[in-house]
Amino acid sequence: MSTTSNDTRRAERLLRWYPPAWRECYGEEFVDHLEQEFADRPIDFGRSVNVACKGLVTRVGDAGLSNTGVNPSGQARAALGTSFALIALMVIVMLDLWSRAMGAWSSRTYHPLPVDASTGVLTAAMGFLLLVLAAVVSVVVLCAARQIVRGRARRLIGPSLLASVSGVFLLYAARIFPSLLAPYIHGAHGFPGTRLSDPGQVIANLATVTWELTQRWVAPWNQGISPLPTAQSIIDDCVPLAMFAFGIALAMLIRRVELPRVSQRLVFPAVVLQSTLAAVFFLAYMAWSVFGGPSNFEYFFPESRWLGQVYLVLLGLVPLLAVRSGLLARRYQPQRKPNHIEIIGSGGTAQIS
Amino acid sequence: MTDPVEGLGRNAGAAVLILSSLAGGDKHGYALVKDVEEFAGVYLPPGTLYQVLARLETRGLITALEADERRRPYRLTAQGAAVLSEYFTAQQRILKTGQARLKRTWTLA
Repeated sequence: MSTTSNDTRRAERLLRWYPPAWRECYGEEFVDHLEQEFADRPIDFGRSVNVACKGLVTRVGDAGLSNTGVNPSGQARAALGTSFALIALMVIVMLDLWSRAMGAWSSRTYHPLPVDASTGVLTAAMGFLLLVLAAVVSVVVLCAARQIVRGRARRLIGPSLLASVSGVFLLYAARIFPSLLAPYIHGAHGFPGTRLSDPGQVIANLATVTWELTQRWVAPWNQGISPLPTAQSIIDDCVPLAMFAFGIALAMLIRRVELPRVSQRLVFPAVVLQSTLAAVFFLAYMAWSVFGGPSNFEYFFPESRWLGQVYLVLLGLVPLLAVRSGLLARRYQPQRKPNHIEIIGSGGTAQIS
Repeated sequence: MTDPVEGLGRNAGAAVLILSSLAGGDKHGYALVKDVEEFAGVYLPPGTLYQVLARLETRGLITALEADERRRPYRLTAQGAAVLSEYFTAQQRILKTGQARLKRTWTLA
C-alpha cells in the first residue's frame, strides 16, 4: 500500500485539530493510520468530521474541562489554568459590579438585611478571589523566573512574553489608579481622608475608585462617562482582552512551569478556592440584583442592555466551567497511600498499621 | 451490578470491540480497525479509535508497545483481560435471561 506526499499533507492537516500534547504522544502513528485509511477510502467526509470533532473534544479535555485529556495526572494543573483564564476574562466586570453594589450600599443609610448580606458576601468573595489570583500569579511568576534563570526556559518563552506584554499593557491602562485614589487617602471631595480605623470607609473609597477605573474598561466607547480621546477609548476597550490574554498566558505557564513540591500540593485547593469564590460571587450578585440594592435603580449593567446580557451569560458560565474543571481535577487526584503495610505469608495476611 | 467498562461512557461499545480484538493478539491502529470490521462488521473512525485507545491506556486496560517505525502496537493487559471477561459474563447473563423470556412469551416461526 503506497502513500503519497499529498496523503501525508492531508493527514497532517487533520492532526492539527488535536492539542500539542496529544500530537506529541500519538501524532506519528495517527498520521500513519490516516495515510492507510486514505489509500483504502480516499474520500470520506464523515471521517474528517469525526477526526475534527474528537480533536476538539481532546482540546477541551486538555484544558481540564472534560475527562479526555492526554495526561490525567496533569488534570489539576489544567483545571487551575483554565479556571484562572476564565476568571481573568471576567474579573474586570466582576470588580465593576462589586464596586456598583458597594457604592450603592455606602450611599444609603438604611440597609435591609438581604442587601447587607449580599453586599457583604460579594465583598468577601471578591476580596478572597483577588487574594487567590494574586497568590497564583506570584507563585507562577517566581517559579517561571527561577526556571528561566536556570536555563530551562524552552517551553516558557512564548507564554512569558505574552504575560509580560499583556501585564505591561494592564499596568499602563491602570496608571491613573494612584491619582484617583489619592484624594480619598489625603482627604478631598468633602471626605476627611481615609482612616484605617474605619475599614468600612476604606472599602467604600476603594469601591468608588474601582468603579471610576473599571467603568472605562467595561462600557465600550465609555458610555455614561465624559468623552475621552479616541486613542484612550481604544486602550480602555482593549483592557478586558489584555486581561484575558494575561489569563491565557498564566494558564500556559501554570501547566508548563516546574513547581516545588509544596506548591504542587496547593494546586487542587487553589482550583477549589477559585471556582468556589467565582460561584459565590455570581450567586451573591444575582441575590443583590433580585433585592435591587438600597437605591433600587441599579439593574444589571444599565449602560447597555445587550452587553449586560452578554456579561450575565459569561458571568454564569465562568463559575460553571470553573466548578466542572475542579470536579474533574478531584476525580484524578492521586489517592492517599494506605497507612498500613500488608504482609502476605503462608500463614495468612497480617497488617501493620 | 457494576459495569466493568464503567467510565468509558458512550465509547463503551468501541472499547469492548477494541479489547476483543486485542484479546486475539497485539495490533496497531489500522490492523485493529480492519480486524474489528472483519469480526463485528463495524467501522471505527480514526478519531473514535484513538480517543478510546487513549482512555483504555489511561485506565491500564491496554498498553502501548515499542513503535515499529511509525506504527505502535497495543497489547491487552491482565487487568484489561479481567475487565473484558467480567463484561462478557454480565452480558451472557443478560443474553440468557432475554432469550429465556423471549422463548416463554413469543413463539417465533
